[in-house]
Amino acid sequence: MNEQRKDILDMLAEGKITAEEAEQLISALERDRPPAAPAFDAKPKGKAKYLRVLVDSRDAGEPGRVNVRVPLQLLRAGVKLVALIPPQALERANAELSRSGVPFDLTQLKPEQLEQLVEHLDEMTVDVDQPDTTVRVFCE
Amino acid sequence: MPQLVTVRVERPDGRPFRLWIPVLPVLLVLFPLVIVLVLAAFVACLVFRVDVPHAFGTAWRIAFALPGTLIDIDQGGTGVRVAIR
Repeated sequence: MNEQRKDILDMLAEGKITAEEAEQLISALERDRPPAAPAFDAKPKGKAKYLRVLVDSRDAGEPGRVNVRVPLQLLRAGVKLVALIPPQALERANAELSRSGVPFDLTQLKPEQLEQLVEHLDEMTVDVDQPDTTVRVFCE
Repeated sequence: MPQLVTVRVERPDGRPFRLWIPVLPVLLVLFPLVIVLVLAAFVACLVFRVDVPHAFGTAWRIAFALPGTLIDIDQGGTGVRVAIR
């Protein structure tokens, strides 16, 4: 309870003002109150919506440019596809990965983990500068 | 849901080729084919023991997340641009 509201209630209790006057004062206080601060976990304004990949290159003297914009919502929907991969396909993929020297267990890859990865993509920026190629990956 | 897909192809020696594809009318025209594809997907889900509602829900989410996608590739005088709105 804030100080002003307490003062009004004290005056009401002491009989200095009537209940009607107290109600009017409290209403006036609420009208003058500044808007509440945003919650801590509220989404910040300007949250990234797209993943951008920009590549500028010069192959054999010809300039090349790649500009890809993917909605992050599409990535979020895409990671749910992982849950649809049949178990036998994952086992075969694991076997092929092991045979190629990459002992990676795809069955341990959970959609929730991928979703977390996508959620934090907006904090990621990749810049690669080469004499004839520039690559930028970022979220906007 | 995507409303319009635009495709632009540029060649160094010619006018750019542009294509506007209104998704909903095209889907309506191809409705019989869409039905066949949905049935084939349903059967494939059953054969490979994939959760059918989950699969269709994911496909639906992906379709609705497509607007805003842009792929633009230029090399020399040649370029391809695909935009989904």
